[in-house]
Amino acid sequence: MVMAYRIINKRRHIGLQQLSSFAEIGRSLIGPVKSSKFIIDEESHESVLISSTVRLLENLDLTSAVGQLLNEAVQAQNNTYRTGTSTLLFLVGAWCSAVEECLHLDVPISIIVSVMSEGLNFCSEEVVSLQVPIHNIFDHMDNTFSGLETCSVTLCPFLQVSSDTGLQQEELDLKDVASQSLTNLVEVDKNTSQTLKNSLFADTCCRKSVLNHSRHFKRPDSNEQISKLDGFLEHGAANPRSYRCNDLVELAVGLSHGDLSNMKLVEEAVQVQYRNAHMKQVNSPAPFMFDISKIFTCCLPGLPESFSCICPGYVTAVSVSSTNLIKELQNQPVRLVLIEGDLTENYRHLGFNKSSNIKTVFDSMKLQEDSSEELWTNSVLQVLIQFNVNLVLVQGNVSECLVEKCIHSKRLIIGSVNGTVMQAFAEATGAVQVVYITQVNEDCVGNGVHVTFWKSNPLDVVDRNDRIAILLKTEGIDLVTAVLTNPVTAQMQTKEDRFWSCAYRLYYALKEEKVFLGGGAVEFLCLSHLQILVEQSLKKTNHASSVWLRNTSSWLASSLEIYRPTVLKFLANGWQKYLSTLIYNTANYSSEFEASTFIQHHLQKATESGSPSSYILNEYHKINSGIFNSGISDKLEHIPRVYDIVTPKIEAWRRALDLVLLVLQTDSEIITGLGHTQINSRASEGFLFL
Amino acid sequence: MSRLEAKKPSLCNSEPLTSEGVRATLSVWRGIVSSCYGPSGRLKQLHNGLGGYVCTTSQSAALLRNLSVTHPIIKILVTSVQNHVSCFSDCGLFTAILCCNLIENVQKIVLTPTTVIKLNKHLLRLCTNYLNSEACGCRIPVDFHSARIPLCLVRSVLTSKPASMLTKEEVDHISALILRTFLLTIPENAEGHIILGKSIIVPLKGQRVTDSTVLPGILIEMPEVQLMKLLPIKKSGALKVALFCTTLSGDLSDTGKGTVVVPCGVSLESAVLDQLLNLGRQLVSDHVDLVLCQKVMHPSLKQLLSAHQVIAIDRIGVTLMEPLSKVTVQKIGTQPIGSLGSISTSSYGSVKNLRTAKFGSKHFFHLIPNEGTICSLLLCNRNDTAWDELKLTCQTALHVLQLTVKEPWVLLGGGCTETHLAAYIRHKTCNEPESILKDDAGCTQTELHLVAEAFCRALESLAVSLEHDGGEILTDMKYGHFWSVQAHSPSAVNWSDLLSRCGCGLYNSQEELSWSFLRSTRHPFAPQTCLPREAVGSSSTLTVDCLTAKLGGLQVAVETANLILDLSYVIEDKN
Repeated sequence: MVMAYRIINKRRHIGLQQLSSFAEIGRSLIGPVKSSKFIIDEESHESVLISSTVRLLENLDLTSAVGQLLNEAVQAQNNTYRTGTSTLLFLVGAWCSAVEECLHLDVPISIIVSVMSEGLNFCSEEVVSLQVPIHNIFDHMDNTFSGLETCSVTLCPFLQVSSDTGLQQEELDLKDVASQSLTNLVEVDKNTSQTLKNSLFADTCCRKSVLNHSRHFKRPDSNEQISKLDGFLEHGAANPRSYRCNDLVELAVGLSHGDLSNMKLVEEAVQVQYRNAHMKQVNSPAPFMFDISKIFTCCLPGLPESFSCICPGYVTAVSVSSTNLIKELQNQPVRLVLIEGDLTENYRHLGFNKSSNIKTVFDSMKLQEDSSEELWTNSVLQVLIQFNVNLVLVQGNVSECLVEKCIHSKRLIIGSVNGTVMQAFAEATGAVQVVYITQVNEDCVGNGVHVTFWKSNPLDVVDRNDRIAILLKTEGIDLVTAVLTNPVTAQMQTKEDRFWSCAYRLYYALKEEKVFLGGGAVEFLCLSHLQILVEQSLKKTNHASSVWLRNTSSWLASSLEIYRPTVLKFLANGWQKYLSTLIYNTANYSSEFEASTFIQHHLQKATESGSPSSYILNEYHKINSGIFNSGISDKLEHIPRVYDIVTPKIEAWRRALDLVLLVLQTDSEIITGLGHTQINSRASEGFLFL
Repeated sequence: MSRLEAKKPSLCNSEPLTSEGVRATLSVWRGIVSSCYGPSGRLKQLHNGLGGYVCTTSQSAALLRNLSVTHPIIKILVTSVQNHVSCFSDCGLFTAILCCNLIENVQKIVLTPTTVIKLNKHLLRLCTNYLNSEACGCRIPVDFHSARIPLCLVRSVLTSKPASMLTKEEVDHISALILRTFLLTIPENAEGHIILGKSIIVPLKGQRVTDSTVLPGILIEMPEVQLMKLLPIKKSGALKVALFCTTLSGDLSDTGKGTVVVPCGVSLESAVLDQLLNLGRQLVSDHVDLVLCQKVMHPSLKQLLSAHQVIAIDRIGVTLMEPLSKVTVQKIGTQPIGSLGSISTSSYGSVKNLRTAKFGSKHFFHLIPNEGTICSLLLCNRNDTAWDELKLTCQTALHVLQLTVKEPWVLLGGGCTETHLAAYIRHKTCNEPESILKDDAGCTQTELHLVAEAFCRALESLAVSLEHDGGEILTDMKYGHFWSVQAHSPSAVNWSDLLSRCGCGLYNSQEELSWSFLRSTRHPFAPQTCLPREAVGSSSTLTVDCLTAKLGGLQVAVETANLILDLSYVIEDKN
């Protein structure tokens, strides 16, 4: 075994280069308008259609160390939050180039690491002011049930464009009196601007933001100024009290990010769950929680998109050959058995070691009439007959021969059922899950399951794989199935992925009871806040820098202030890149450059206003009060806000920066266990051998 | 077809250290370890080049475990550092770098290896005596009544491993958590000698670091679906426990070679199952409340137990068995049940309570013991790589705390101990060479000066390895501490304006000190010994190292260097 070793940051950091080239692929995946990509295997000529970061990385060959780390970071984000991976990928790329720029200017690595993490900390704290609390969202359920439908009809074609970029787009045409007066005020008195910011925060929905900025309140005279300014604010600035979200439909539309059709399904699923929970607990109304683990998808490729719907109960696809059987089972409640493992002859529970050296000898007198498979099948059938069971749900595989036999005796066996579904049926019917059919006794059998076709005319809805959908329902079961259909098989996966990303967005919003103002507002605030920090540290106005170096006593600590503005500026450039790509992707601008100038314009206005967050809140207000008169907005009396989820987003930023900084701090790559044949090729790549 | 091949003769290399190849390899190796050293150390990506797991690390434990070295000299080095790490967890890189430095420095002086080795031993004795003496100017007593120094110690361990990617808040959170974990492993009523308990690190990857927490007792992870099946737990209060370390899956025991012939109609499987069910009935009639099994339990047995409201948890795994048997057994010395035969009632144990807990997306059974020193540290980090590094770091920190309880002293960190020690050795060899050589007639004072200089340079360049961003290192002429300054600083400046604090954080530059570059030659001076207590009290955050681990590392480094210097032949079997 030989070990190879190479230094990866000699002149240009190889790791960072690799990372940014990977991230480059994901440029078009951020924002509501996603361009799909074909990945083609040159050898086998197979191709995959992808439109999400996770699927992209799944299908790429990432054998390099950096590629693996990137994949690991994306997978970790996806497994924990199911959303935010495209943001992660893009920011990795953007911050990679930011870090490279810093290296060109000879900023010491430790300083880049410290200042960048500090800068991101600042951003995460700052964006708290753009949080919108979600209150009593389920109080208005009955009123707004049809709301989404009207929305989807009118808004669908525009929403992708107008909502995500709406904020910035409308800003162009407008010169609002309020923001002007805000600016004037700032020019008059710098101190007041701070206070203005405070009073704004105090008025906004979040109590947290007040706490966050409480250090400003320590000024002895600030309280007075607030009271003086209060009146002014009422007239001048937008009244930020309106930023509250207490309507499920509004929230869902805001979180749909251009994917209204899927979000509508998710919203319906929440409604169904809410009604279920409501019915169950009439007497003790515990607060309702959206339980995403009780939502399932059933994909039926080949059916028109319009067939997608939400069904209470469990929908699954079975082979067309069981059509007659279903017809017969339809009109009566059936008894069911739940099998945890496979339902095959040779299956043994996990962890059972079969002895290989046991041989069974048969009496020579009695000739074997049936094969053992047939004996087993008969014994299973006998149990089913004995307990009068017509439905068997199996978590694993099912023996083909058994299924055939059971169809003849009017019993339905469904394999590959999800564990949560099994659990839900166990709870609702009183069935007990068993591993072997021989374990079944009267206590294990569940009652009262209704089997029907998903659509009344089953043969209309046979999917590409000759399967038909059936619906299993029972009293009190809390499962909800989203039936997803798509005429193009290649897009089925995308459809399902998008449904889940909508579902998880809504789930986290409801779980955290807060959302961000979306459409780039948070990123814009980060950008302008960093801009202000840069200016401040150039002017040396804030002495108490909170940058933390791991090595507190190093010389770096004293020379940190020199490098700080530079590093923060490059960090801000990452946001700038993100925003301009986001806006460019939504197709309003012909070039990223144009989008970038547009952001610069607003950045300037925001920083000049002294308080970027109130500037943003203000601009948001304008859209909602409908002052603007651009082409699109004429047709709509109400443009819904765009929202973003809080923790997953901030975690995605953190993960992206962590990955970049991890690679930045890596100076060498050590490859172990090379065979002698690989050595020659490696030697040319600058490896040393030990 | 077998083929006979003539045996190749063994290869014999004399004076292996003089070969150019060995020197080059040694210097690459030194480059790897010294670039990892310290809080701003650079990380290494270790992988197999074929798409396997990528380990990003700067810790000796992870680095050495994954390296495969071929040259015998490097192998000696790696093995002895690994031995050190397995005993002390900390100071592995310190040992490796110091050893390389010693070998390299000694090669530059023209003395016979025997003399060098002898003198190295003298110098090592001088160091250990000094570090263990009351007069030592770079060690601080640890008072466990206050959390300050133990927290500094943990924090120093955490910050010296940059690959765990912690922010300041996260370091604060984790160091407090580690200290709490450590305290949970100390028995409450300790008389005479105490036996420390055990802390189990439970992985919770993907979550935020600040979500980490510590709980007394044992957590058994379980999929939600399986957990729901066992709920609700009807019993409250103490539970009678049967802990099995054997499999209850209904396997036939190993029949060895050959074939077992069974007549038709006899089922061995059902025979074993009957035996299991008998066991189950006995457990039920003995009023056992909780059955824990290291391996798999037969579903029918589980069904029988749950029908009688006995909670059965299987597939616990070998790692949890030792703490589980500690927690549940009634008498010391009782082992987990290892057979299916009849069970004596004395083999049952008990736990105080059983709860379920959910952290992140994982579900756990939480076993709360009657009394005991077992706790579970739920450790979170954003991804696998960073988690692995953090886990190793936490283990090191916990181990270092244990070592410090035994020997309640810490050494000043951040390079200060090394520069201070070097100043002390220089001063001693200059002023009292007889006290070092004692009655050793074989070495002259000149030889001692040469070797001591090499030894001191090795210590100093070890301290310099802490600097990775091109800074320069200074030392003060009073305490002999470590100070870093930006490169190319004008030499005529007032140092006290440029410098802030010394490496360990004990002194600041505003005291009346004089400095000189560590590289330059200085007049030997006596560094101030006997650290006054009040000096330690004043400064807020100190960087400190575990005395036991560092002393061990120093010994291993010098002895390994001596061993390598002593090599005169390498004989390789080429077959």
